[in-house]
Amino acid sequence: MGKYSYVGKGIPRIDAFEKVTGTALYTADMKIKGMLHAKLLKSPRPHAKIVKIDTSEAEKLLGVRAILTGKEAPYKLGIYISDKEPLAREKVRYVGEPVVAVAADTEEIAEQAVELIKVEYEDLPAVFDPREAIKKGAPRVHDNPADYRHPPFIFPEPNSNVANHFKLRKGDIERGFKEADVVVENEFNQSQVQNVQMETHSSIGQWLPDGQINIWTSAQSPFAVRHLMSVALDIPLHKINVVVPYLGGGFGGKAGIHWEPLVVLLSKKAGGRPVKLVMTREEQFNTTAVRQGLFARIKTGVKKNGKITAMEIEYIWDAGAYADYGVNIGRAGGYACTGPYEVPNIKADSMTVYTNHPYATAYRGFGHVEFHWATERQMDLVARAIGMDPVEFRLKNAALPGKITATGEKLREDAGRVDQCIKAVAKEIGWGKKPARPAGKKVRGIGLAALWKAPAMPSHTSSSALVRLNEDGSATLSISLTEMGQGTPTAFAQMVAEGLQIPIEKVKVATERETDLSPYSWQTVASRGLFMDGNAVINAVEDAKNQIKATAAELLKVPKGSLVVGDGRVFVKGKPDKGLPLSAIATAGVRPDGSGVRGPIMGYGYYTAEGLTNLDPETGQGRPALMWTFGAQGAEIELDTETGDIRILKIVTALDVGKAINPQLVESQIIGGVVQGLGTAIMEEFVFDDNGKLLNNNLTDYKIFRAHDIPEKFVPIIIENPQRNAPYGARGIGEHPTISVAAAVANAIYNATGVDIFDLPMSREKVWRAVHKGCKK
Amino acid sequence: MMVKFDYLKPKTEKELAVLLAKHADEAKLMAGGTDLLVLMRDKIFKPRYVIDIKDIPELRRLEYDEHRGLRIGAAVTLNEIIASKVIREKFTALWEAAGTLADVMIRNRATLAGNICNASPASDTAPALLVLDAEVEVKSERGERKIPIREFFKGVKKTALERGEFVKAIRVPNPPKGAKGSYLKWGRTKGEDLAVVGVAALVANSGKPAVCIALSSVAPTPILVPEVQNAFEGRGSTDEKIEKAAAAVVGKICPISDVRCCKEYRLHMAGVLTRRILKQLVGAS
Repeated sequence: MGKYSYVGKGIPRIDAFEKVTGTALYTADMKIKGMLHAKLLKSPRPHAKIVKIDTSEAEKLLGVRAILTGKEAPYKLGIYISDKEPLAREKVRYVGEPVVAVAADTEEIAEQAVELIKVEYEDLPAVFDPREAIKKGAPRVHDNPADYRHPPFIFPEPNSNVANHFKLRKGDIERGFKEADVVVENEFNQSQVQNVQMETHSSIGQWLPDGQINIWTSAQSPFAVRHLMSVALDIPLHKINVVVPYLGGGFGGKAGIHWEPLVVLLSKKAGGRPVKLVMTREEQFNTTAVRQGLFARIKTGVKKNGKITAMEIEYIWDAGAYADYGVNIGRAGGYACTGPYEVPNIKADSMTVYTNHPYATAYRGFGHVEFHWATERQMDLVARAIGMDPVEFRLKNAALPGKITATGEKLREDAGRVDQCIKAVAKEIGWGKKPARPAGKKVRGIGLAALWKAPAMPSHTSSSALVRLNEDGSATLSISLTEMGQGTPTAFAQMVAEGLQIPIEKVKVATERETDLSPYSWQTVASRGLFMDGNAVINAVEDAKNQIKATAAELLKVPKGSLVVGDGRVFVKGKPDKGLPLSAIATAGVRPDGSGVRGPIMGYGYYTAEGLTNLDPETGQGRPALMWTFGAQGAEIELDTETGDIRILKIVTALDVGKAINPQLVESQIIGGVVQGLGTAIMEEFVFDDNGKLLNNNLTDYKIFRAHDIPEKFVPIIIENPQRNAPYGARGIGEHPTISVAAAVANAIYNATGVDIFDLPMSREKVWRAVHKGCKK
Repeated sequence: MMVKFDYLKPKTEKELAVLLAKHADEAKLMAGGTDLLVLMRDKIFKPRYVIDIKDIPELRRLEYDEHRGLRIGAAVTLNEIIASKVIREKFTALWEAAGTLADVMIRNRATLAGNICNASPASDTAPALLVLDAEVEVKSERGERKIPIREFFKGVKKTALERGEFVKAIRVPNPPKGAKGSYLKWGRTKGEDLAVVGVAALVANSGKPAVCIALSSVAPTPILVPEVQNAFEGRGSTDEKIEKAAAAVVGKICPISDVRCCKEYRLHMAGVLTRRILKQLVGAS
């Protein structure tokens, strides 16, 4: 019997039954009386002036209720840089960008209407490579990014394609390289990819004649949608209600705001009828948001004894046409740029750059998957250059408690332990042992990579929770953290059951999030939910318990401090029979004469990020991280040198989670994250033609990992060094299992073949090419 | 979303022939619909009539006769083919090819006739039918004829079918006694994918080996490589002959680079798969 009754137990997901039986409701399932359907006319050009839009033929079509062009929607949207409007206006910036939207009685009519609209374009020179886009004289995707609304921690470069230039300067970079015995420099590259959520972006919007706006949407963060909508359209917040049911996957792609303003504006033009937009899979690939590409150049100075003396880092992110999220991903990649190591001297520049590719946003890992591909490959390459074992090299430089991070933060004593993660993975993957030699042209190898990530968010974000006690002693928890597959609401139910000491079956987490009714939470992003909303839940439970005790104290005529809550009762400590069932005081206490005492029990709790600061604009020094979650991953692979095929025999992931509230869910998060990470490592890639048109905007030619492709063995390792200010010590891990699988696999490829891979994905063809050429750097 | 069309579902071959004669230029035949509906959704095809052949009992028949061989009706699904014991045992190349096409759910609807009429260079079943020397039974209002599969594919998405003609069935003669066949497919993933290269082979070994190989995704149509037979004439070890056969294949094919992979990789993999399939069927020292 452990310390806790519910926390730390592998309790099945509370939403499993609904989801497995198909009764769970998603936005795309919803129908509202009088609802119209929207379709989009999209740009066939990567960069062109819109000369003329002729909608006259479409207007004549029976059943068309509203046609909207960019001119009628000049509203700048965004959370970090407001550079995007609901529809292209004046010019288009990528192939697939919506230019005109139609709302009609049926999807068929809307699509027919779209085909009747004629747009005249005048081509402008386009730029697709972010390295070209930062050069002087490159075609300008936006006139002046510095003109766009942005918070003080984002630094757009005036009159350029640089939406954010994050600078980090620590120590003395020149001295650092002088002290080095060996300097190793490499470049790494990867293209844009897509989140490929099972549910595509879906939104229903209604702008009623009295000014009330109702939105039902597959958004990760209802309050962010409400806030950003209010700012963009200058509408009072209380006039907007945002409802979010279950999400069929988000992976960052549904963070912030996307198509909600568009459906709302269409609704207004259609006289207030609700308008629904469900993206097709093709649109999901090249009209909605994707993940940034990254070009990385890393120069590392190292002493023969293995101590890193300096790192010069350049990250150039392909944000595509709009960079609302890209700018903050560039910032996060910048402040975490070294990976989980202490480096005394650093010069890092992380630039989020506009191109005429599809626009990018958050994707599970928030830049960390991308840059760890570079840093964790580089760690192996540097270790090799000084003849040191890569595990020993990592341990020698590990960011342990007390060490100083790139932003000058001294890691706290209760920070996680990357060294324990590395050692656990090394042991499990058979580090130091000779791999088996299979027959024929197959070779085997093992590789390891470490990782870290903190939630990337503004310094003062907050979350809240409400716990209501029901008349039968059961409890209902209201939160605004959405459920998109990650399972956090189950962990919250465990926390409520733990706090109130009632059976978990008596805890309900309300399914829908609705801004008019639910307590505020900033966003469901950044692996922050369990930590931040979890702290809010714990505080709400404490508040509810206080109210319970206050009512009981009055009825029992005992001091409040003598009371405890447990077994569905409130009673005097040590005297279980001197007490009351919770059901007796849920709505009010009752005195023997029938008069009421106090009122319905509803606990409120909140949590606001602690101790974070904006970073210095010139040096990037400061406190960006609420908590660092550390980890390591290892891969054992078998590579067929004849075909380039990689078979993943075993993949090991160790994360210092602080405390596993639900080990079963931690393990499923790890397995899911690993599979998704492997997809982008091995298969996923945007292939464009010379005019920026995405050639594989479908699941026929954009391959993701499926059942046949997954590793033969997953080994999740849970390490628990609790963090003091976390709920039960728990840190977020939602994104982390995706982060270092690519580097671990590539390091294993080198181990097996002596060939280095620098570009993702490691497809069969690319691996064959690399092994064939024996392309050693 | 699709264009509007009339959906017709004839009950007999004759009725189908009449409908097709009447609407040939504006109609598309639908068996499983797994290719057609995708093309219609993408508005590549905008037929005014979709004629569903699944209600015609004759076209749903899968028959085997010891002397005449196999006859697969145009509406027989791939899963029905996969479930057939005689196809698994006697027509292994076809059976294996059917099992690699798309996934189980698609194969519940997709048909062999549909797969060849779609005439994709990446057809999985076509190479198998080529090595098995199948024949396509074709009918129209004008009458019936048989087209050897070797003359059926005329180009990317083009077949030898003429206006008003439809495929009734595919006939596959019994392979020589003791012949062994197989189909190897290489994709970008281990799971469901279109072929980057597909290789079918049939090897009969009565005295000297008779070897037949056909490939998909390496030319505008699925192609047969009769030249491999030369590799097995004359002296030399089996390994050497297999090498010669692989060289013959690589010399004959003309793959392109596209979004799926580059030409060089297709050439290379065609050689690899040829060696693998021949080692499996002919045996290696």
